[in-house]
Amino acid sequence: MAMRQTPLTCSGHTRPVVDLAFSGITPYGYFLISACKDGKPMLRQGDTGDWIGTFLGHKGAVWGATLNKDATKAATAAADFTAKVWDAVSGDELMTLAHKHIVKSVDFTQDSNYLLTAGQDKLLRIYDLNKPEAEPKEISGHTSGIKKALWCSEDKQILSADDKTVRLELIKSFETPATINSASLHPEKEFLVAGGEDFKLYKYDYNSGEELESYKGHFGPIHCVRFSPDGELYASGSEDGTLRLWQTVVGKTYGLWKCVLPEEDSGELAKPKISFPETTEEELEEIASENSDSIYSSTPEVKA
Amino acid sequence: MQTPLPSPVPVLRLPRGPEGLSRGFAPDGRRALLKPEVPGTPESPVVHECQESQEQRARALLRERYLRSLLAMVGRQVSFTLHEGVHVTAHFGATDVEVANFYVLQLQTPIGVQAEALLRCSDIIAYTFKL
Repeated sequence: MAMRQTPLTCSGHTRPVVDLAFSGITPYGYFLISACKDGKPMLRQGDTGDWIGTFLGHKGAVWGATLNKDATKAATAAADFTAKVWDAVSGDELMTLAHKHIVKSVDFTQDSNYLLTAGQDKLLRIYDLNKPEAEPKEISGHTSGIKKALWCSEDKQILSADDKTVRLELIKSFETPATINSASLHPEKEFLVAGGEDFKLYKYDYNSGEELESYKGHFGPIHCVRFSPDGELYASGSEDGTLRLWQTVVGKTYGLWKCVLPEEDSGELAKPKISFPETTEEELEEIASENSDSIYSSTPEVKA
Repeated sequence: MQTPLPSPVPVLRLPRGPEGLSRGFAPDGRRALLKPEVPGTPESPVVHECQESQEQRARALLRERYLRSLLAMVGRQVSFTLHEGVHVTAHFGATDVEVANFYVLQLQTPIGVQAEALLRCSDIIAYTFKL
Protein backbone atom coordinates (compact mmCIF):
# COMPACT_ATOMS: atom_id res chain seq x y z
CA MET A 1 0.00 0.00 0.00
CA ALA A 2 1.59 3.28 -1.11
CA MET A 3 1.58 6.17 1.29
CA ARG A 4 2.34 9.80 0.68
CA GLN A 5 5.50 11.21 2.24
CA THR A 6 4.72 13.51 5.16
CA PRO A 7 7.73 15.79 5.65
CA LEU A 8 8.17 17.17 9.14
CA THR A 9 8.77 20.91 9.06
CA CYS A 10 11.05 22.31 11.74
CA SER A 11 10.41 25.98 12.19
CA GLY A 12 12.29 28.51 14.28
CA HIS A 13 14.76 30.06 11.89
CA THR A 14 13.81 33.41 10.42
CA ARG A 15 16.14 33.42 7.41
CA PRO A 16 17.44 30.85 4.92
CA VAL A 17 18.93 27.66 6.28
CA VAL A 18 22.25 27.25 4.51
CA ASP A 19 23.93 24.28 6.15
CA LEU A 20 23.06 21.36 8.34
CA ALA A 21 24.88 18.42 9.87
CA PHE A 22 24.05 15.32 11.88
CA SER A 23 26.10 13.94 14.73
CA GLY A 24 26.93 10.26 14.99
CA ILE A 25 24.62 7.93 16.88
CA THR A 26 25.00 8.57 20.61
CA PRO A 27 23.40 6.89 23.64
CA TYR A 28 20.88 9.76 23.53
CA GLY A 29 20.02 9.26 19.87
CA TYR A 30 21.49 11.50 17.20
CA PHE A 31 21.39 15.24 16.81
CA LEU A 32 21.11 17.82 14.09
CA ILE A 33 22.58 21.32 13.85
CA SER A 34 21.39 23.93 11.37
CA ALA A 35 23.23 27.02 10.18
CA CYS A 36 21.13 30.03 9.31
CA LYS A 37 21.59 33.48 7.91
CA ASP A 38 19.83 34.84 11.00
CA GLY A 39 23.05 34.14 12.92
CA LYS A 40 21.45 31.73 15.36
CA PRO A 41 22.39 28.10 14.72
CA MET A 42 20.08 25.60 16.37
CA LEU A 43 20.52 22.16 17.84
CA ARG A 44 17.71 19.66 17.38
CA GLN A 45 16.99 16.07 18.27
CA GLY A 46 17.83 14.24 15.04
CA ASP A 47 14.97 11.78 14.74
CA THR A 48 12.14 14.09 15.72
CA GLY A 49 13.37 17.55 14.80
CA ASP A 50 12.51 18.81 18.29
CA TRP A 51 14.39 21.97 19.11
CA ILE A 52 16.91 21.59 21.96
CA GLY A 53 18.68 24.93 21.99
CA THR A 54 20.07 27.88 20.07
CA PHE A 55 23.76 28.81 20.07
CA LEU A 56 23.83 32.54 20.75
CA GLY A 57 26.91 34.63 20.12
CA HIS A 58 27.62 35.13 16.44
CA LYS A 59 27.21 38.63 15.09
CA GLY A 60 26.52 37.70 11.50
CA ALA A 61 25.04 35.06 9.22
CA VAL A 62 26.16 31.56 10.09
CA TRP A 63 27.29 29.78 6.94
CA GLY A 64 28.47 26.47 8.28
CA ALA A 65 27.72 24.28 11.27
CA THR A 66 28.80 20.87 12.40
CA LEU A 67 28.67 18.53 15.38
CA ASN A 68 31.33 16.16 16.61
CA LYS A 69 30.60 12.45 16.56
CA ASP A 70 29.13 12.18 20.07
CA ALA A 71 27.34 15.53 19.84
CA THR A 72 29.19 16.99 22.81
CA LYS A 73 30.70 19.79 20.74
CA ALA A 74 29.45 21.99 17.96
CA ALA A 75 31.32 24.30 15.63
CA THR A 76 29.98 27.14 13.53
CA ALA A 77 31.39 29.34 10.75
CA ALA A 78 30.07 32.85 10.31
CA ALA A 79 30.12 36.06 8.38
CA ASP A 80 31.47 37.87 11.45
CA PHE A 81 34.92 36.49 10.49
CA THR A 82 34.91 33.95 13.30
CA ALA A 83 34.45 30.25 13.78
CA LYS A 84 33.18 29.25 17.20
CA VAL A 85 33.34 26.01 19.13
CA TRP A 86 30.48 25.32 21.51
CA ASP A 87 29.56 22.91 24.26
CA ALA A 88 26.63 21.16 22.60
CA VAL A 89 25.22 19.99 25.92
CA SER A 90 25.04 23.34 27.70
CA GLY A 91 25.01 25.63 24.68
CA ASP A 92 27.96 27.62 26.07
CA GLU A 93 30.57 29.10 23.81
CA LEU A 94 33.96 27.40 24.33
CA MET A 95 36.22 29.10 21.79
CA THR A 96 36.18 31.91 19.27
CA LEU A 97 38.66 31.50 16.42
CA ALA A 98 39.35 34.75 14.62
CA HIS A 99 39.75 34.72 10.85
CA LYS A 100 40.52 37.38 8.28
CA HIS A 101 37.36 36.98 6.26
CA ILE A 102 33.96 35.26 6.22
CA VAL A 103 34.24 31.68 7.40
CA LYS A 104 32.12 29.24 5.41
CA SER A 105 32.91 25.75 6.59
CA VAL A 106 33.86 23.86 9.75
CA ASP A 107 34.54 20.17 10.32
CA PHE A 108 35.74 18.14 13.32
CA THR A 109 38.07 15.15 13.02
CA GLN A 110 36.61 11.84 14.23
CA ASP A 111 38.43 12.17 17.58
CA SER A 112 37.27 15.81 18.00
CA ASN A 113 40.87 16.92 18.51
CA TYR A 114 41.16 19.09 15.42
CA LEU A 115 38.87 21.53 13.67
CA LEU A 116 39.17 22.35 9.98
CA THR A 117 37.93 25.78 8.90
CA ALA A 118 37.71 27.40 5.50
CA GLY A 119 36.21 30.48 3.94
CA GLN A 120 36.59 33.56 1.84
CA ASP A 121 40.23 34.08 2.71
CA LYS A 122 40.98 31.05 0.49
CA LEU A 123 42.93 29.27 3.25
CA LEU A 124 42.33 25.94 4.94
CA ARG A 125 43.07 26.14 8.63
CA ILE A 126 43.56 23.30 11.08
CA TYR A 127 43.13 24.16 14.76
CA ASP A 128 44.35 21.91 17.55
CA LEU A 129 41.44 22.11 19.98
CA ASN A 130 43.68 21.02 22.86
CA LYS A 131 45.82 24.12 22.25
CA PRO A 132 43.39 26.86 21.34
CA GLU A 133 45.99 29.58 21.86
CA ALA A 134 48.37 28.07 19.31
CA GLU A 135 48.34 29.32 15.74
CA PRO A 136 46.47 27.05 13.33
CA LYS A 137 48.21 25.22 10.51
CA GLU A 138 47.37 27.01 7.27
CA ILE A 139 47.10 25.43 3.82
CA SER A 140 46.88 27.60 0.73
CA GLY A 141 46.18 26.66 -2.85
CA HIS A 142 42.64 27.71 -3.58
CA THR A 143 42.30 30.64 -5.95
CA SER A 144 38.82 31.65 -4.87
CA GLY A 145 36.81 31.56 -1.65
CA ILE A 146 36.35 28.07 -0.24
CA LYS A 147 32.75 26.98 0.17
CA LYS A 148 33.22 23.69 1.92
CA ALA A 149 36.08 21.71 3.39
CA LEU A 150 35.83 18.27 4.95
CA TRP A 151 38.10 15.68 6.50
CA CYS A 152 38.09 12.39 4.67
CA SER A 153 39.97 9.07 4.45
CA GLU A 154 40.00 8.74 8.23
CA ASP A 155 41.08 12.35 8.68
CA LYS A 156 44.20 11.85 6.61
CA GLN A 157 42.99 13.99 3.74
CA ILE A 158 41.02 17.15 3.23
CA LEU A 159 38.39 17.57 0.57
CA SER A 160 37.65 21.18 -0.32
CA ALA A 161 35.62 23.02 -2.92
CA ASP A 162 35.58 26.58 -4.17
CA ASP A 163 33.62 28.25 -6.96
CA LYS A 164 35.62 26.78 -9.78
CA THR A 165 37.22 23.59 -8.60
CA VAL A 166 36.55 20.60 -6.46
CA ARG A 167 39.71 18.84 -5.48
CA LEU A 168 38.48 15.28 -5.70
CA GLU A 169 38.45 12.28 -7.95
CA LEU A 170 35.23 11.93 -9.91
CA ILE A 171 33.68 8.62 -8.92
CA LYS A 172 30.16 9.03 -10.26
CA SER A 173 28.01 11.69 -11.84
CA PHE A 174 24.23 12.04 -12.20
CA GLU A 175 22.02 14.01 -14.54
CA THR A 176 19.54 16.21 -12.72
CA PRO A 177 16.58 18.28 -13.96
CA ALA A 178 17.78 21.39 -12.14
CA THR A 179 20.87 22.93 -10.59
CA ILE A 180 21.69 20.94 -7.50
CA ASN A 181 23.16 22.65 -4.44
CA SER A 182 23.67 19.73 -2.13
CA ALA A 183 23.55 15.97 -2.06
CA SER A 184 24.03 13.23 0.47
CA LEU A 185 24.87 9.57 0.11
CA HIS A 186 22.97 7.03 2.18
CA PRO A 187 25.23 5.42 4.83
CA GLU A 188 24.93 2.09 3.02
CA LYS A 189 25.41 3.71 -0.40
CA GLU A 190 22.29 2.27 -2.06
CA PHE A 191 21.06 5.71 -3.02
CA LEU A 192 21.57 9.39 -2.61
CA VAL A 193 19.35 12.41 -2.16
CA ALA A 194 19.88 15.81 -3.74
CA GLY A 195 18.20 19.18 -3.72
CA GLY A 196 18.68 22.51 -5.43
CA GLU A 197 17.20 25.41 -7.27
CA ASP A 198 13.84 23.93 -8.28
CA PHE A 199 12.81 23.54 -4.61
CA LYS A 200 12.49 19.77 -5.00
CA LEU A 201 14.24 16.86 -3.39
CA TYR A 202 15.34 13.97 -5.55
CA LYS A 203 16.31 10.45 -4.64
CA TYR A 204 18.58 8.54 -7.04
CA ASP A 205 19.63 4.94 -7.17
CA TYR A 206 23.39 5.03 -6.61
CA ASN A 207 24.16 2.19 -9.00
CA SER A 208 21.86 2.87 -11.93
CA GLY A 209 21.49 6.63 -11.56
CA GLU A 210 17.75 6.21 -11.95
CA GLU A 211 15.56 8.85 -10.32
CA LEU A 212 13.51 6.96 -7.72
CA GLU A 213 11.43 9.62 -5.99
CA SER A 214 10.99 13.35 -5.97
CA TYR A 215 9.23 15.57 -3.49
CA LYS A 216 7.93 19.09 -3.50
CA GLY A 217 7.48 20.87 -0.22
CA HIS A 218 9.97 23.64 0.22
CA PHE A 219 9.07 27.16 -0.83
CA GLY A 220 12.55 28.11 -1.86
CA PRO A 221 15.80 26.64 -3.23
CA ILE A 222 17.28 23.86 -1.16
CA HIS A 223 20.72 24.70 0.18
CA CYS A 224 21.66 21.54 2.02
CA VAL A 225 20.61 17.92 2.31
CA ARG A 226 21.98 15.31 4.69
CA PHE A 227 21.13 11.74 5.58
CA SER A 228 20.86 10.88 9.25
CA PRO A 229 23.60 8.57 10.54
CA ASP A 230 21.21 5.59 10.55
CA GLY A 231 19.92 6.41 7.07
CA GLU A 232 16.27 6.37 8.19
CA LEU A 233 15.62 9.99 7.34
CA TYR A 234 17.18 12.92 5.54
CA ALA A 235 17.00 16.59 6.38
CA SER A 236 16.85 19.50 3.96
CA GLY A 237 17.49 23.18 4.65
CA SER A 238 16.06 25.84 2.41
CA GLU A 239 15.96 29.49 1.46
CA ASP A 240 12.41 29.44 2.88
CA GLY A 241 13.90 29.34 6.39
CA THR A 242 12.73 25.86 7.26
CA LEU A 243 14.32 22.54 7.84
CA ARG A 244 12.34 19.48 6.76
CA LEU A 245 12.75 15.87 7.72
CA TRP A 246 11.86 13.22 5.12
CA GLN A 247 11.48 9.49 5.54
CA THR A 248 13.80 7.25 3.57
CA VAL A 249 11.17 4.50 3.63
CA VAL A 250 7.81 6.21 3.41
CA GLY A 251 5.25 4.79 5.80
CA LYS A 252 7.67 3.20 8.23
CA THR A 253 7.18 3.85 11.93
CA TYR A 254 10.14 5.95 13.00
CA GLY A 255 10.55 9.05 15.10
CA LEU A 256 7.32 10.98 14.82
CA TRP A 257 6.04 9.01 11.83
CA LYS A 258 3.58 6.29 12.70
CA CYS A 259 2.74 3.30 10.59
CA VAL A 260 -0.96 2.65 10.31
CA LEU A 261 -2.14 -0.80 9.34
CA PRO A 262 -5.06 -0.81 6.90
CA GLU A 263 -8.47 -1.97 8.10
CA GLU A 264 -9.07 -5.37 6.60
CA ASP A 265 -12.88 -5.05 6.57
CA SER A 266 -13.36 -1.64 5.04
CA GLY A 267 -11.86 -0.54 1.75
CA GLU A 268 -10.87 2.82 3.21
CA LEU A 269 -7.26 3.84 3.22
CA ALA A 270 -5.87 4.25 6.71
CA LYS A 271 -6.20 7.75 8.02
CA PRO A 272 -4.66 9.29 11.11
CA LYS A 273 -7.11 8.65 13.95
CA ILE A 274 -5.31 10.29 16.83
CA SER A 275 -6.33 13.83 17.52
CA PHE A 276 -3.68 15.98 19.03
CA PRO A 277 -3.95 19.54 20.23
CA GLU A 278 -1.59 21.17 17.80
CA THR A 279 -3.15 20.32 14.47
CA THR A 280 -6.47 19.07 13.19
CA GLU A 281 -6.84 16.34 10.62
CA GLU A 282 -7.50 18.98 7.98
CA GLU A 283 -4.24 20.68 8.78
CA LEU A 284 -2.43 17.39 8.60
CA GLU A 285 -3.91 16.79 5.15
CA GLU A 286 -2.76 20.25 4.13
CA ILE A 287 0.73 19.58 5.34
CA ALA A 288 0.90 16.33 3.43
CA SER A 289 -0.87 17.63 0.34
CA GLU A 290 2.10 19.85 -0.49
CA ASN A 291 3.65 16.70 -1.87
CA SER A 292 1.64 15.81 -4.90
CA ASP A 293 4.63 14.96 -6.98
CA SER A 294 5.70 11.59 -5.72
CA ILE A 295 6.60 9.23 -8.52
CA TYR A 296 6.85 6.37 -6.10
CA SER A 297 4.66 3.82 -7.76
CA SER A 298 2.31 1.56 -5.86
CA THR A 299 2.41 -0.98 -8.66
CA PRO A 300 6.07 -1.87 -9.01
CA GLU A 301 5.62 -3.83 -12.19
CA VAL A 302 4.75 -0.64 -14.04
CA LYS A 303 8.26 0.72 -13.66
CA ALA A 304 10.62 -0.28 -16.43
CA MET B 1 -9.96 6.92 -14.50
CA GLN B 2 -8.74 8.48 -11.33
CA THR B 3 -6.97 6.50 -8.65
CA PRO B 4 -7.54 7.92 -5.17
CA LEU B 5 -4.52 9.74 -3.73
CA PRO B 6 -2.60 7.57 -1.31
CA SER B 7 -3.13 8.77 2.22
CA PRO B 8 -0.35 10.72 3.93
CA VAL B 9 1.83 8.99 6.49
CA PRO B 10 0.33 9.86 9.88
CA VAL B 11 2.49 11.56 12.47
CA LEU B 12 2.24 11.58 16.24
CA ARG B 13 2.82 15.31 16.38
CA LEU B 14 4.90 18.02 14.72
CA PRO B 15 8.48 18.76 15.77
CA ARG B 16 8.66 21.14 18.72
CA GLY B 17 9.96 24.58 17.97
CA PRO B 18 12.00 27.04 20.04
CA GLU B 19 10.45 28.26 23.28
CA GLY B 20 10.00 32.03 22.99
CA LEU B 21 13.27 33.83 23.58
CA SER B 22 14.84 31.06 25.62
CA ARG B 23 18.09 29.68 24.33
CA GLY B 24 17.14 26.18 25.46
CA PHE B 25 19.64 23.47 26.47
CA ALA B 26 17.49 22.53 29.46
CA PRO B 27 19.77 22.37 32.50
CA ASP B 28 17.87 19.32 33.75
CA GLY B 29 17.74 17.72 30.33
CA ARG B 30 18.71 14.15 29.52
CA ARG B 31 22.29 15.01 28.70
CA ALA B 32 22.83 17.38 31.63
CA LEU B 33 25.37 15.17 33.37
CA LEU B 34 27.44 14.80 30.24
CA LYS B 35 30.55 16.92 30.06
CA PRO B 36 32.54 17.36 26.85
CA GLU B 37 35.32 14.76 26.75
CA VAL B 38 38.64 16.09 28.02
CA PRO B 39 40.98 15.36 25.14
CA GLY B 40 43.85 13.08 26.03
CA THR B 41 41.97 11.11 28.70
CA PRO B 42 42.24 7.38 27.98
CA GLU B 43 38.94 5.77 27.01
CA SER B 44 37.58 3.45 29.72
CA PRO B 45 37.29 -0.18 28.66
CA VAL B 46 34.00 -0.71 26.95
CA VAL B 47 34.03 -4.43 26.26
CA HIS B 48 32.60 -5.72 29.53
CA GLU B 49 29.90 -3.06 29.44
CA CYS B 50 28.73 -4.09 26.00
CA GLN B 51 26.22 -6.72 27.07
CA GLU B 52 24.84 -4.53 29.84
CA SER B 53 24.41 -1.59 27.55
CA GLN B 54 22.77 -3.79 24.95
CA GLU B 55 20.22 -4.90 27.53
CA GLN B 56 19.76 -1.34 28.65
CA ARG B 57 19.19 -0.27 25.10
CA ALA B 58 16.59 -2.97 24.63
CA ARG B 59 14.86 -1.94 27.83
CA ALA B 60 14.82 1.69 26.77
CA LEU B 61 13.39 0.77 23.39
CA LEU B 62 10.64 -1.34 24.90
CA ARG B 63 9.85 1.36 27.42
CA GLU B 64 9.58 3.94 24.71
CA ARG B 65 7.29 1.67 22.68
CA TYR B 66 5.08 1.13 25.69
CA LEU B 67 4.84 4.84 26.40
CA ARG B 68 3.94 5.47 22.78
CA SER B 69 1.26 2.80 22.98
CA LEU B 70 -0.24 4.64 25.93
CA LEU B 71 -0.23 7.83 23.92
CA ALA B 72 -1.98 6.07 21.08
CA MET B 73 -4.70 4.93 23.46
CA VAL B 74 -5.83 8.40 24.48
CA GLY B 75 -9.46 9.02 23.59
CA ARG B 76 -10.06 5.44 22.44
CA GLN B 77 -12.42 2.83 23.63
CA VAL B 78 -10.49 0.23 25.62
CA SER B 79 -11.68 -3.15 26.93
CA PHE B 80 -10.25 -4.15 30.27
CA THR B 81 -10.10 -7.64 31.67
CA LEU B 82 -10.10 -7.45 35.45
CA HIS B 83 -9.91 -10.05 38.17
CA GLU B 84 -12.74 -12.46 38.85
CA GLY B 85 -13.63 -12.56 35.15
CA VAL B 86 -14.89 -9.01 35.11
CA HIS B 87 -14.81 -7.13 31.81
CA VAL B 88 -15.35 -3.40 31.49
CA THR B 89 -14.94 -0.90 28.70
CA ALA B 90 -14.09 2.77 28.91
CA HIS B 91 -12.50 5.65 27.05
CA PHE B 92 -8.90 5.97 28.06
CA GLY B 93 -7.84 9.34 29.40
CA ALA B 94 -4.46 9.23 31.06
CA THR B 95 -2.11 7.34 33.30
CA ASP B 96 0.02 8.52 36.17
CA VAL B 97 3.80 8.45 36.13
CA GLU B 98 4.13 5.02 37.74
CA VAL B 99 1.34 3.59 35.59
CA ALA B 100 -0.43 2.71 38.82
CA ASN B 101 -3.80 4.14 37.86
CA PHE B 102 -5.66 4.77 34.62
CA TYR B 103 -7.96 7.74 34.40
CA VAL B 104 -10.92 6.74 32.26
CA LEU B 105 -14.18 8.20 31.06
CA GLN B 106 -17.58 6.59 30.49
CA LEU B 107 -16.65 3.44 32.32
CA GLN B 108 -19.23 0.79 31.53
CA THR B 109 -19.55 -1.45 34.55
CA PRO B 110 -22.02 -4.26 35.31
CA ILE B 111 -23.80 -1.84 37.63
CA GLY B 112 -23.93 1.18 35.35
CA VAL B 113 -21.90 3.80 33.52
CA GLN B 114 -19.46 5.91 35.49
CA ALA B 115 -18.67 9.26 33.88
CA GLU B 116 -15.13 9.42 35.24
CA ALA B 117 -13.15 6.84 37.14
CA LEU B 118 -9.70 5.70 38.19
CA LEU B 119 -8.88 2.13 37.43
CA ARG B 120 -6.24 0.58 39.62
CA CYS B 121 -3.67 -0.98 37.32
CA SER B 122 -3.00 -3.73 39.82
CA ASP B 123 -6.60 -4.80 39.22
CA ILE B 124 -6.13 -5.01 35.48
CA ILE B 125 -5.02 -8.28 33.95
CA ALA B 126 -5.11 -7.16 30.34
CA TYR B 127 -6.50 -4.48 28.09
CA THR B 128 -7.05 -4.16 24.37
CA PHE B 129 -7.99 -1.40 21.99
CA LYS B 130 -8.26 -0.91 18.25
CA LEU B 131 -5.93 1.51 16.53
